[in-house]
Amino acid sequence: MVKIIVVTSGKGGVGKTTTSASFAVGLASRGYKTAVIDFDIGLRNLDLIMGCERRVVYDFVNVIRGEATLNQALIRDKHTKELFILPASQTRDKDALTLEGVAAVLDELGKTFDYIVCDSPAGIERGAQLAMYFADSAIVVTNPEVSSVRDSDRMLGLLSSKTKRAEEGKGQISEHLLLTRYSPKRVANGDMLSLADVNEILAIPLLGVIPESQAVLRASNSGVPVIVDSESDAGQAYTDAVARYLGEEVPFRFLQEKSHWLKRLFSFKEKEAV
Amino acid sequence: MADSILVTDHQACFRFKTSFAACTIMQLTRYDLDDLSKQTTAAVNRAPNFFIGSPVVLDLEVVKGIGVLDFKQIKQILISNNLVPVGVRGGSQEQLEEAATAGFPVITIGKPKLIDEPPKKTPQAPITKLVTSPIRSGMQVYARATDLIVMAPVSPGAELLADGNIHVYGPLRGRALAGVQGNTQARIFCRTLEAELVAIAGYYLVKEDMHNLPSDGSTMQIYLAGEEVKIAAV
Repeated sequence: MVKIIVVTSGKGGVGKTTTSASFAVGLASRGYKTAVIDFDIGLRNLDLIMGCERRVVYDFVNVIRGEATLNQALIRDKHTKELFILPASQTRDKDALTLEGVAAVLDELGKTFDYIVCDSPAGIERGAQLAMYFADSAIVVTNPEVSSVRDSDRMLGLLSSKTKRAEEGKGQISEHLLLTRYSPKRVANGDMLSLADVNEILAIPLLGVIPESQAVLRASNSGVPVIVDSESDAGQAYTDAVARYLGEEVPFRFLQEKSHWLKRLFSFKEKEAV
Repeated sequence: MADSILVTDHQACFRFKTSFAACTIMQLTRYDLDDLSKQTTAAVNRAPNFFIGSPVVLDLEVVKGIGVLDFKQIKQILISNNLVPVGVRGGSQEQLEEAATAGFPVITIGKPKLIDEPPKKTPQAPITKLVTSPIRSGMQVYARATDLIVMAPVSPGAELLADGNIHVYGPLRGRALAGVQGNTQARIFCRTLEAELVAIAGYYLVKEDMHNLPSDGSTMQIYLAGEEVKIAAV
């Protein structure tokens, strides 16, 4: 049975596409046949992050309008087996998506795929609502700052009412919080909301905390999802998050500031003294 | 057997049919037989095609207080003007009896019912609205004509409205407006008051103006004293 995951946030620029790309790679590298769909019609980015922008021929809208078959539009990922990308159209806008069209594409994909990751556009309008409508679970990407938390809260409200599952009374979709661009140092300084602050408002299960990292920008620019960079803290954090999504118990990392070895030594001494 | 009452179609000497024929209502506004005669003739002459042969119901609503009228005379005036008097309506009991003896049947069809009985409502206590799932930013919950009980967090940007009282058992971080239809006795009860705005019957308090909140974790109530919104421990 296929599982449809929507990656959403409300607010723009918090890391939805980065998360969609890394999550899709993470699921596919574990052997699940995975498709990742860019719902951000008119502002397509996923193909850049996935490094397949030079191989786009047909897109999501072409498939919906019957101008291409799904197999023609799906792009096979070069690095990960079992991973396919359905890019957005850059020349259309979000009105090109129809509920029936999206349903047909997801149905078709559902016959052969294990996971479908829907990369939602920002905002709460049509594009975002269509991306979430058929979802079985949602990953709510949030930055540790007040406006992002509020927008995520709004998204959670929509997820509980404006999805097929909610409308048909088939129960809640499972909600997961992914906190991105987390900087323990800035939290300690009081410049950033802490994990506890965010959890207090959103109160949904925590899937992962992705630390603020240079590796993310580097990965985006090079077109290789950051999860592939297994040396980086952000890459490792995404790997952990995928494992948790699949039901494994993984301890949370990167929640504390990386302290200097001298400081660590001193805190050790302090503990001894007590 | 009841069969003896039944008659087959070809034995029947009548059939009931319903039809909606136009009927003129002639409402008397003043009782003066001479003027009535003249004015009726004038009116019929103005539009003979409309009036001649037309059934007329005499409406006595306006003149019901002036006592008995000479219905024989009125009937004569109508007939002489080629109108067909078919009945009276709306007069006093005395007038209607007099009219009946003069050959005017009393008609009740098309008359407003004298006693308009309001449908009896069985008194029913309004059911309090209960919400158990979190109320997120942008969501709005309205308890019409009743109280609202929320057993979950209310996020910033969410809005609670009730015609009655509001009870919140999770943290209240959004807006809460009780007595929105003007009930000044309505109150808000909550355990963690971090609301953006609270209001009772339109009188409100924004977060910035909520001072000296009890910080010992006691349950709080928000109520209206005169025109001032008060916050106090329960």
